[in-house]
Amino acid sequence: MKYWNPYLETLPREAYDEIELSYFRNMLSFAKEHSVLYQEKLKGIEGRDIQSLVDLRKIPFTEKEELRKYQEMDPFPYGGTLGSHIEKVTTFRQTSGTTGKPVYVPETYESWQWRIEAWCHILYMAGFRPHHRIFLPFVYNVYVAFWEGHYAAEKLGCELVPGGGLDTKGRIHKILEIQANAMMNTPTYGLHIAEEAKAMGIDPASLGIERMLCAGEPMPSATRKRLEELYQCHVFDHIGGTEPCAWAGMCETKEGMHLIEPFFLVEILDRETLQKEVEEGEVGVAVVTPLGRRSFPLIRFNTKDLVIKGKEPCACGRTSKKIEEVVGRIDDLRKIRGVLFSPKTVEEVIRKGFPEIIEYEIVVERKGIMDEVILRTEFPPNFGAMKADQIKARLREDLKVKTNLSFLVKIEPPGVLPRYMLKAKRFRDMREGGKNE
Amino acid sequence: MNEQIRREIKRLEESAIRLRTLAQDNPAILRNTEIILTFVTILKFITPDRGKEEN
Repeated sequence: MKYWNPYLETLPREAYDEIELSYFRNMLSFAKEHSVLYQEKLKGIEGRDIQSLVDLRKIPFTEKEELRKYQEMDPFPYGGTLGSHIEKVTTFRQTSGTTGKPVYVPETYESWQWRIEAWCHILYMAGFRPHHRIFLPFVYNVYVAFWEGHYAAEKLGCELVPGGGLDTKGRIHKILEIQANAMMNTPTYGLHIAEEAKAMGIDPASLGIERMLCAGEPMPSATRKRLEELYQCHVFDHIGGTEPCAWAGMCETKEGMHLIEPFFLVEILDRETLQKEVEEGEVGVAVVTPLGRRSFPLIRFNTKDLVIKGKEPCACGRTSKKIEEVVGRIDDLRKIRGVLFSPKTVEEVIRKGFPEIIEYEIVVERKGIMDEVILRTEFPPNFGAMKADQIKARLREDLKVKTNLSFLVKIEPPGVLPRYMLKAKRFRDMREGGKNE
Repeated sequence: MNEQIRREIKRLEESAIRLRTLAQDNPAILRNTEIILTFVTILKFITPDRGKEEN
């Protein structure tokens, strides 16, 4: 079968809108009845007030900071964000806390299974099937990462190999030993496994991975293609978060990502005003409402993810809305010397034109009255110094063209820069008032 | 969406609710029945009938 749910994935546009509005009104009523946060936040707003997608604008956004504030109440640790009785909660998850105190996310058995069902769409769209033996090179813990992927793959009938308690070399040996043919990982760690395999004298393409689903970080298309070249496999992306769940995924055309409708009502709003929906091809902020997850109701959650609104319809035949690309996070955007800068652009430049660079880090510092952008790079061991200098000069030029900023490019000895399994932190803003990520 | 599918989901739900009533003194049967009802909820969510989804 081409689709996980042929009925749900090929509905006419107006049917999606009608169903999602209907589910939205249900969720709004439920949240007002069961969550202290929404009892207070949505006073005076009723489901019947929402008759069209434009009416959604009557409802305030939910911000991460509010979730933190309401979690200070009882019952511990979810407080007023909880939508079910505490005894119905079967799973604890939390956000990474990159931007402050972590948000604790409760899942009841029902809510968790609802999340898994949404994730099944992501995996099925990416071509995962029961013949796949999926290796998860990953330590499972309090974060949601890959727990959903694990359970969704199991529901699809795939075979899961948890590769948590091993180092990278051990994982490479295990992939070969059990002949895994699929993986789920962060893009960064996918690249690191390839680098480590090469150092062991193993061509990453010979690992036998035919399909890879990435998560955890924005993945420029150049990084996705680099992974495809290294492993000679198909690589897919998706987007989501601990609070709103995973809400869009890539189909076999690999052109943007489909919203998982009608599980989520996703608005892509103008980033300045947060008022109107952007046009196709424009950048906007994703505001997400999960429509069937009751343990942790979220109404119009401001994800702060910047995405480009995609074109419809898709050649795959699915009729859901699309996003063309994930640009990054609003939190990651910085003004440097008056120029708006996104770290993702640097990754795009490096992965596209400089495969010799195996790791990098961007540091912004203030020198007197000037901002300085330093790019620390790392080349493979025994890489010629003269060759590295030539690459450095070319890299400076490409970065200048793409970012309109002059970079100070430094070459670090092999192994100096940190490696990441989870979310990579390759950007540090050391200026006063800047965020030291 | 095939009406027959929605009817069968409804029958499944009614049957599970009856089973839940009968299983009050048996935690194993009770919990397994509750799990069936969880999936009934998901089945209903993924088979929406336009204009008839609201509670």
